[in-house]
Amino acid sequence: MSGFLELAISGLMSGLVIGLAALALTLVFGVARFANAATGDFMTIGAYAAVFGFTATGSIVIGGLLGLFIGAVSGVISYFLVFRVLEGRPSVSALLASIGVGFIIRSVLGVIYGHGQQVFQLPLVRPWRYFDVRIQPNDLKIGATALLALLVVFLVLHATPIGRRMRAVADDPMLARVSGIAPRKVMFALWAMSGAVAALAGVLLGIRTVIWPEMGWEMLIPVFAAAVLGGIGHPVGAVLAGVILGVVQEIATPYVGFTYKLALAFIILLVVLLVRPKGLFGRVEGVR
Amino acid sequence: MNITRRQTLAGLASTMLLPALSGTAFAQAANFRIGALNPITGSGAAYGSGMQKMILAAAEVVNAAGGAAGKKLEVFAEDDQSQPQAAVLAAKKLIDVNKVQSILGTWASGVSLAVAPLTNDANIMLMNTSGAPALSVPPANAKGLLFRFQATNDRFGRAFAEVAKKEGFKRPVTMAFNNASGIGNADGFKKAWEAQGGKVYESIVYEPNQPSYRAELQKALAAKPDVIVMGSYLADTTIILREWFQTGETTKFIMPAWAGNPDLVKALGPEVSEGIIAVDSISNEGSEAFKAYDAAYQKAMGQSGLNNVYAAMTWDMVIVLALAMEAAGPNADVPAIAKKMFEVAGPGGKPVATFAEGKEALKSGKIDYQGASSVLDFDKFGDVTPDFSVSVAEKGKIERKYVVKLSA
Repeated sequence: MSGFLELAISGLMSGLVIGLAALALTLVFGVARFANAATGDFMTIGAYAAVFGFTATGSIVIGGLLGLFIGAVSGVISYFLVFRVLEGRPSVSALLASIGVGFIIRSVLGVIYGHGQQVFQLPLVRPWRYFDVRIQPNDLKIGATALLALLVVFLVLHATPIGRRMRAVADDPMLARVSGIAPRKVMFALWAMSGAVAALAGVLLGIRTVIWPEMGWEMLIPVFAAAVLGGIGHPVGAVLAGVILGVVQEIATPYVGFTYKLALAFIILLVVLLVRPKGLFGRVEGVR
Repeated sequence: MNITRRQTLAGLASTMLLPALSGTAFAQAANFRIGALNPITGSGAAYGSGMQKMILAAAEVVNAAGGAAGKKLEVFAEDDQSQPQAAVLAAKKLIDVNKVQSILGTWASGVSLAVAPLTNDANIMLMNTSGAPALSVPPANAKGLLFRFQATNDRFGRAFAEVAKKEGFKRPVTMAFNNASGIGNADGFKKAWEAQGGKVYESIVYEPNQPSYRAELQKALAAKPDVIVMGSYLADTTIILREWFQTGETTKFIMPAWAGNPDLVKALGPEVSEGIIAVDSISNEGSEAFKAYDAAYQKAMGQSGLNNVYAAMTWDMVIVLALAMEAAGPNADVPAIAKKMFEVAGPGGKPVATFAEGKEALKSGKIDYQGASSVLDFDKFGDVTPDFSVSVAEKGKIERKYVVKLSA
């Protein structure tokens, strides 16, 4: 039983990372209407920036903030240089362009840092034990950081003017425009937020694992699965779906075999979509 | 002047054809052409340059001794980038444009497996330093033209079993990365361990690129092992050992040296890495052939030949190839030379350590080339059995403790 609980906690942590990345993906999808395949690579940028900041200052908080900042800047730059130009084209061109953006990011990181691994040289600590359940202090910190970030994102979305405008554009771009919402500003805010959220997912993943140029790209499939499962374009859904995928994968794989981890994510996805084609929280969209 | 599109096309076509024609003509020339296909960049970059330079250096040695079977060796070098896609393109170029008669020195298993169909189609030899068991048998080794100068993952597994026995472990568990090499290591260990009458208490295969390996670890640790035998790589090993330390358990680890290297110790720190046992194949240190290789390596790379086990293997590739050519005679084709590879390196002949010595001894009978990388007795699969070093991480440093020899 204690083992079961430990797995659930571990799954929760993986799930928060997947959920954060899925949130970054779904934010862009909700407003810009395409699946941003470079989401994983924004994670990687964030992780590298954070490791750089951490090594330079010795503070993981400053490193993490630098990661978020660089992630936001990368999001804005990629919008400014690529996705802004493709606005109004079919969404598949933006999707293809985002794959290209990801390639460029990976190659540049590979040239600068090489393809070897880097790690956050954080002190590893032995776990605390509560009623025979091992709790890892680092997990608590990671979980708290992720929850704080989610809180900020939802506050921005629901309690600020720019968030309201974002939701208006997501709801109905034409109506938003005739209501006098300037799309450019909304898009900048959106890309900055998506980039920062992805970067945070990357930083947390980097703390738990190792950092290398392909780390984010390799996470893309579970992230996509979580975004679809949550009802694409729905922020709360993406995070919850990420957590569900993480926990179920971690709890179930000892019984079905570890090599089926990814397959399991898709079985969950399949079942949910069969019962609820719109995903957990999504709405069925009419043809526009 | 009026050039029609048709004329342009014809002109272009003829310019494209010309080199192809001349290429075939050149192939008849008196040189034996070798393709050096090494990991100059990518994950094998630490070894690739040395491997390539030793092919060039050994070819010079052979040519200085008058060549093999009346032919000089000519080397064409390419970078395989440690990646199958790049390797296939480079191998195609070596085969179609340079008309090489053997490709030497592929490193990653994925690269060797990808290049093997091309060399088989061209009826030329592929000499590699990869570990995957699939390279021993068809389809990869369908024609008996593959020669492996590195230990198979299976032999690594046997070496692990020897080490586990020597260290007195009783309850081993295996964890393997889900690919041919990782599973090959773990299965090799299991086979050898069970042959000694031992039992493996859990065998876990895991996927790469996971955000966490805690479920895998928990299952492994549930079997109460005293040692976990890994078939793994650097990145996944780093994650797994960090998570293992955070569980508070005190298990020991045995792993291949491409995972358990100074980079791992650096990433984990002295406390977590303390006591990790890393196993690596080593060169035939102390042999006469190794001295010759070591001198060439020092000259080319400015450091000891001990630093690059794979360069000793590529050195041997050229020497054995040249001896096999000499033994097969001037008119032999590549498959006939391949058959002689077993003979000139196999047991039963007069032991020799250099090409010149072997060339001379061949005049009076059989020889047995004792290589720089190992004694080089190819089994029927074209595989060799090198010795293994056992290193242990202590206080943030990983250093060699002893050597394990397997029976062939």
